[in-house]
Amino acid sequence: MGENTNAKIAAHLDEMALKIMMVEPGDLSVVGELVVLVEDLQNLPGIDAYPALQRMGQAMRVVIGQIVMAELPDSANNYERLGQGIGFMQESCRRHGEDDEAAETAFFALLKEIGFVAADGAEEVTDPSPPAAPAPAVQQQTTPPPAKEKIAPSPSGPPQGLKIMPSPAVEAMEFLQDLELLTGFVSETLEHLESIEVNVLGLEENPEDQETINKIFRPFHTIKGVAGFLNLKNIQKMAHSTENLLDDVRNGIHPMDDQVIDVVLNVGDFLKTMVENLKLVLKDGPEQYKNYDITDYVAWVEAVQSGQKPGAATNPQEAVSTGAEVVANVAKPASPIPSASPSLNGPVAPATKPTASPAKMAVGDSIKVDVEKLDGLVNAVGELVIMQAMVRSNPKIAVLSDPKLIKDFAQLGRITSELQKTAMSMRMVPIRQTFQKMIRLVRDLSKKTGKEVNLVMEGEETEIDRNMVDSIYDPLVHMMRNSVDHGVQTPSEREKLGKPRSGTVNLRAYQKGGNMVIEIEDDGQGLNTEKIRRKAIERGLISENDKSSGYELNNLIFLPGFSTADTITDVSGRGVGMDVVKKAVEKLRGKVEAISEPGKGSLFVIRLPLTMAIIDGIIVRVGGERYIIPTTAIQESLKPRRENYNTVQGKGETLLVRDKVLPVLRLYQLFQVEPTYTDPCEAIVVVVEYEGRQRAIMVDELLGKQEVVIKNLGGLSDIPGVAGGTILGDGRVGLILDLAGIVQSHSSHGTMEM
Amino acid sequence: MEGAALAVEGNAGQGLGGKYLTFSLGSEEYGIVITKVREIIGIMEITAVPHTPDFIKGVINLRGRVIPIIELRMRFNMEVKDYDDRTCIIVVDVPGPNGTVQVGMLVDSVSEVINIAPQDIEPPPDFGVSTDAENIIIGMGKIKGKLKILLDVDQVIGRTLASTLSAM
Repeated sequence: MGENTNAKIAAHLDEMALKIMMVEPGDLSVVGELVVLVEDLQNLPGIDAYPALQRMGQAMRVVIGQIVMAELPDSANNYERLGQGIGFMQESCRRHGEDDEAAETAFFALLKEIGFVAADGAEEVTDPSPPAAPAPAVQQQTTPPPAKEKIAPSPSGPPQGLKIMPSPAVEAMEFLQDLELLTGFVSETLEHLESIEVNVLGLEENPEDQETINKIFRPFHTIKGVAGFLNLKNIQKMAHSTENLLDDVRNGIHPMDDQVIDVVLNVGDFLKTMVENLKLVLKDGPEQYKNYDITDYVAWVEAVQSGQKPGAATNPQEAVSTGAEVVANVAKPASPIPSASPSLNGPVAPATKPTASPAKMAVGDSIKVDVEKLDGLVNAVGELVIMQAMVRSNPKIAVLSDPKLIKDFAQLGRITSELQKTAMSMRMVPIRQTFQKMIRLVRDLSKKTGKEVNLVMEGEETEIDRNMVDSIYDPLVHMMRNSVDHGVQTPSEREKLGKPRSGTVNLRAYQKGGNMVIEIEDDGQGLNTEKIRRKAIERGLISENDKSSGYELNNLIFLPGFSTADTITDVSGRGVGMDVVKKAVEKLRGKVEAISEPGKGSLFVIRLPLTMAIIDGIIVRVGGERYIIPTTAIQESLKPRRENYNTVQGKGETLLVRDKVLPVLRLYQLFQVEPTYTDPCEAIVVVVEYEGRQRAIMVDELLGKQEVVIKNLGGLSDIPGVAGGTILGDGRVGLILDLAGIVQSHSSHGTMEM
Repeated sequence: MEGAALAVEGNAGQGLGGKYLTFSLGSEEYGIVITKVREIIGIMEITAVPHTPDFIKGVINLRGRVIPIIELRMRFNMEVKDYDDRTCIIVVDVPGPNGTVQVGMLVDSVSEVINIAPQDIEPPPDFGVSTDAENIIIGMGKIKGKLKILLDVDQVIGRTLASTLSAM
């Protein structure tokens, strides 16, 4: 007994502590050694004097045994907990087994976290070990285990939430057994739901189109099937009852009417909410899971199917709920039940008309490719093009005049540029999907505002860079809202003006001169140019006797803080200003303009580059560095003449170009590089324009015009004056100038203000 | 034994032991966890990027990808020395604002990959004042009587990139 025993036990615990540090998930041999050590601990002479330690050792042996048997997860987290547990055992030992209740309690709390269940630390380890995949423990480590791990110790109630039913945790989480399958299900279902929505809206036009009904029926069927397989009971039930309803419609038992459309749209939204929640579960773990109450929805679907026509009208608030509101919507008990809207036949019937029925789109064979892989391919091809140029311009090769070699190089060049074109085109997708989302938007908006709006879409096949699709969505929604909300008048107003009751919003896309053009045109009231003018004067943007044209005045609405409801139209409730649209479009290196005729309507034109990946630029040299100036901003370049160059005291330098006095901006000063020329009359200036402000940028030399692939600068971002980088012909990186930043920083330097 | 107990108490189960890539800056030897290292490349021409701190030397083209280069000597306020044929860029993976980014660290020379046992790792020295060093050093590895300063790459680079933005 006494010190000697204590020291021996302490030494043994230290050994265990060491061993646990060495354990890595999947490395069961080390775990085995640890078991031996723990067992030895129980047999150490004098251990009887440490009952707490004995209890802990016993429990630890059981837990480790379970891990070895793959009954508990073989994860780094669990080993960390075991390590901490050994720490508590050491603590107990240091206290000579006295006053060590705290350590023991903490120890068992840790084991509990791992999944150990025991009354008093004895043999009864009866954790109905979670259905942790029976896969060999070695492989478990590779699958992200947090999900599995957290299920184990949760006898606690399921997540609570509004309108979310309690449900046994294990049952609810069964679908987590195959994460890969679930991931696939989530993304596929979201796609299905999108296509359902599009097709349902198409049905509004063509209620009798069997093919379209089938196209709605089938995805519900698929969703039902896979959800059943994954044991996602709610989703399965929801999809199942909707499928039943659609089956009746398909077989002519139930007419395809507004009720059905409303039900299917709402169910679609609701399913989307549920699936989005699953997405969250995949991302943040099972505690995010919400067990939505579907009874109201199922009852609604069944009511419609059985042909009941409850007198209540669809709450218009409900009908117009957009994606973002769906969650709140779901939270409201019994929201959709008072369904079936006779009001639909009222004056608010929307007439949303997609010109090209999406149902009839011919789709070629295609495969899905991970975006990352695609980007990787584009990068590699870009690199190939550069390498080829480098090889070709290698001085030792360049001097060779072998005709075969020259011919082969030409052929190689053709192949690589073809490859590059193909790779780039793989990133292009038709804008159709984005456009189709507008159908729903216009439908909902027109219902809400009580207007009749025809949406006519053209050019949905126009292709746009995949990376731009998401960014263009918001500004587009904004402008569509504006057109419906503030452009198109109410039916009665329109009748008074001698216009057809229903207004028309045209949404067009087409390619023109290397740009993608999107037009939104309405035949509404147009912009009130006179009001804009007055507001501009009020704000000091123009003077009282300014002779700006109507066009120039109209485009003032894109200035920040300009377009509030009371300034332009009398319709209240205008949201954010159009400057948001302009900013978003400019971020995509595009332009937006407004053309309007009072009383006749407005036309908004968005011009975007076809791709964000490539930019047309002039390569300039400043000292040893090369920069790329986007061609779109360049007006001209010239060698300044002495008589046109002036300094303005305290304000900087100016250059007279075509009778305009332009501030001179020395790029080498801004970027702090050593230039070749410091005298503007020896250097070259490039005249650029950004947001109506012109600058003469002074550089050493123009090296040529080139299409360059834009790359981000890794972890460096938001560098003033730099929009990104590109890889030049010699393999080095050149920086692409960001004129917004340059013009701004030049102004803020106080050198010159226009 | 002492060391093991320390490791358990101080960094319970973090598992500091393992493989480290060591490199030198002047007379000092540093180590970083090998799993952070993507590759090691020789020095190449670097394009300077304006409006960034001095220790960001610029960017390079790493097989079609543009990555920033940090001169570690400058990062640690050490005297700058000319590059020679032993100068290397260690490309590491660090968490950026939008996922993992690759960043190159410019060092005098790369030494070797060594296995450091947990008991050979001492906690970072306490310099008495709160310094940058405290946060970026995870420990001191003792190998054959020599000390290797073990760096937390995420901290070294992460802070660097963060300070880049705040410097704007």
